Amino acid sequence: MSFLPTPLGGRPDALLARAGGLTRLVAGLCWLLAVVLTTQPLVPAVVCLAGLAALLGWSGLDARLVAGRFGPVFVAAVGLAVVAAVFSPLNGDPAATAAVELGPLRITVPALSGAMALGLRLVAIALTSVLVFGPGEVTGLADSLVQQARVPDRFAYGSVAALGLVPLLAADWESTRVARRLRGLEAAHLPGRLGGLGGRLLTLLVSAIRRADRMALAMDARGFDSGRRRSRYRPVRFGVPDVLVLAGAVGVAAFALAAATWVRV
Amino acid sequence: MIEAPPPILAEGLRWTYRGATRPALDGLHFRLDGGQVLLVLGPSGSGKSTLARALAGIVPHALPGAWTGRLSIGADDVPATPPARLGQRVGLVFQDPESQLVMPRVEDEVAFGLENRGWPRPEMLRRVPQALALAGLSGFEQRASRGLSGGEQQRLALAGVLAPLPRLLVFDEPTANLDPPGMQAFFARLGELATRREHTIVVVEHRLEAVLPLADRALLLDEAGRQLAYGPPAEIGPVHAGALERSGGWVPAAWRRPGALPTGGFAARGPSQPVTPSPVPAVDIVAELEGVAVRYGADRDLRTALVGVDLVLRAGERVGLVGPNGSGKSSLLFVLAGARRPSSGAVVVRDASGAPHDPRRLPSTVLPGMVGLAFQDPEIGFVGRTVGEELGPGAGPALVARFGLDGLEGRDPYRLSQGQQRRLSLAALAARNPRLLLLDEPTYGLDRLGSQQVVAFLDEGRVAGQAQLLATHDPRLLPDCDRVVALEAGRVVFEGSSAAFLAAPPFDPPGPWQVSP
Repeated sequence: MSFLPTPLGGRPDALLARAGGLTRLVAGLCWLLAVVLTTQPLVPAVVCLAGLAALLGWSGLDARLVAGRFGPVFVAAVGLAVVAAVFSPLNGDPAATAAVELGPLRITVPALSGAMALGLRLVAIALTSVLVFGPGEVTGLADSLVQQARVPDRFAYGSVAALGLVPLLAADWESTRVARRLRGLEAAHLPGRLGGLGGRLLTLLVSAIRRADRMALAMDARGFDSGRRRSRYRPVRFGVPDVLVLAGAVGVAAFALAAATWVRV
Repeated sequence: MIEAPPPILAEGLRWTYRGATRPALDGLHFRLDGGQVLLVLGPSGSGKSTLARALAGIVPHALPGAWTGRLSIGADDVPATPPARLGQRVGLVFQDPESQLVMPRVEDEVAFGLENRGWPRPEMLRRVPQALALAGLSGFEQRASRGLSGGEQQRLALAGVLAPLPRLLVFDEPTANLDPPGMQAFFARLGELATRREHTIVVVEHRLEAVLPLADRALLLDEAGRQLAYGPPAEIGPVHAGALERSGGWVPAAWRRPGALPTGGFAARGPSQPVTPSPVPAVDIVAELEGVAVRYGADRDLRTALVGVDLVLRAGERVGLVGPNGSGKSSLLFVLAGARRPSSGAVVVRDASGAPHDPRRLPSTVLPGMVGLAFQDPEIGFVGRTVGEELGPGAGPALVARFGLDGLEGRDPYRLSQGQQRRLSLAALAARNPRLLLLDEPTYGLDRLGSQQVVAFLDEGRVAGQAQLLATHDPRLLPDCDRVVALEAGRVVFEGSSAAFLAAPPFDPPGPWQVSP
């Protein structure tokens, strides 16, 4: 299963990996804010370009791996844009200039612009989340959230532990399918398969609770959340990489918004 | 200054979980000196794990129930001592490495327990490599925890537990999930710790041969949590071996009087079926693999699970499938179940008339009678909301009674005891009686009695002409197999009789794979 939040295995010395997780989160929020604030396609376009540059230049991630794993999102974005363009109510506006006219199909410029904005926005959001959560490792993100944003240890490291269980649950999920199949319960048609999901989910839930119980027991036995103040094996400091990432992200967002104000598409 | 390892004292210790009908521990009475190693033996349900939890303070502090009597670790009386203080002195290693590792990176995992106890950073930086060295994992600091083998993961759990300098170490079936080399490496580390005498050590184990030589004392429990005996293993073992065996527990070979009790495998049940002579007519062939390869993952992290596997399974034959963790055993079972498409090669299952079928294309009405799969964890295989639903219409009252499930038909399968769950999964397989039965560690976590029930069930199927492929780490099951197939890195590295396998296992080193005498 390739959509699971398994590590993308980036280089630890990349700029984005050396910046704290909280820094990446704030930088990412800047971009998301810029993208949702306007309906102009230019803003997500600028963010997409900057995001692509950051992915290739400063993330330390293997761009081909990212492309392979998030390819479906990009395909969906294109599909969404096409559908939005073809079925936009703005196409019925006789005053608007037609961008495409093919027999009965008429797509107006405002409809095309809106559809492009929609598709680009989806890509920009996906790209931003890859840049926020992809570089470095999940522990670094938890360390940063706990030490810089005062997120409770219990929540942050509990989530880290839970993420480690996800591949096991994925294997369990596969096993439940095999079990139903061998009992002759796997329907050939889609509605039947959806009906079987309830039983599989129940089994998965039982297994998830059992595993989480065992994990919680093991964590308690090692003194986690015992009321004592935890010390830090990896202190997180706000440094030059954080300044660079924040400045870069804010700069890109500001530039995109400014360009959208002056250049009407 | 390091504290001395604490003695353990139990006086009339009795513990009943809330809602249980009988005590889990019933009147334990023993005194273990500091620095000694205690081996706890008993069948399923004898309270071995409960004792481990009590020593860590989980019982009674985190689980509800009724406590009487006394249990103390050094000067600390367990019920009266805050769990945080007990946690400082006691380290607990559980059965399953995968669900006790918290952090993605090895050094962070070891530091986790130190952070929890507020160790200053310079001391952590000094202690983490020391703890890794004790577990035989020096140089693993930057590795990914979940990229390690099962045996390495369990030694990482040991390092994490050792780091904060506990004086009492408690192991709850620490090698149940490990392949034989992983088990041997783990016990080698445990042996080193034992000889240092810096820790009091309590070990709960089913795999007795490896741990018995380390034990200074043995505590024998019966199926109701009562103490059968306590003392030096060489003294009490031979005297109480019979009682332990009758209660369903595993008994080390060293405790058996010659000729009195079965040794090695389950051979005492009577002669096993003769190996089907070859060549056999095609109609006897139940399943065939020809040049089967399985690769999975996306282009860059493509991994190979099986490479060019040829295998023939015949009616009335039991084939043992062995190999290290990750050698492709599960993939092979899944391919035969038609649940995974081979990247290349052919998979064929044959019906009673000898007609070949692709297991992936068998209609759902035919498949259950052709292929069955017993999962290592029975719960994962359950498809019914009640025991009756799980058994299916093919299960008559006689079958239900034979597996000890009568009166449970309306119960929720997930609420059964572990032993009942295992019997339910076998009963459901017996009701379908598939021509090809695939088993993944069918005796996992079972005591002697439970394992013998599994083997008896398999024997009946084999006599009736079932083909059985049994993936296992337990060499005790191999003498009853007609053939053994060994996998390493997805390739078949050995195929032959179990005697030939056990005499010269095709692995390096071969020692861990042999049945202990």
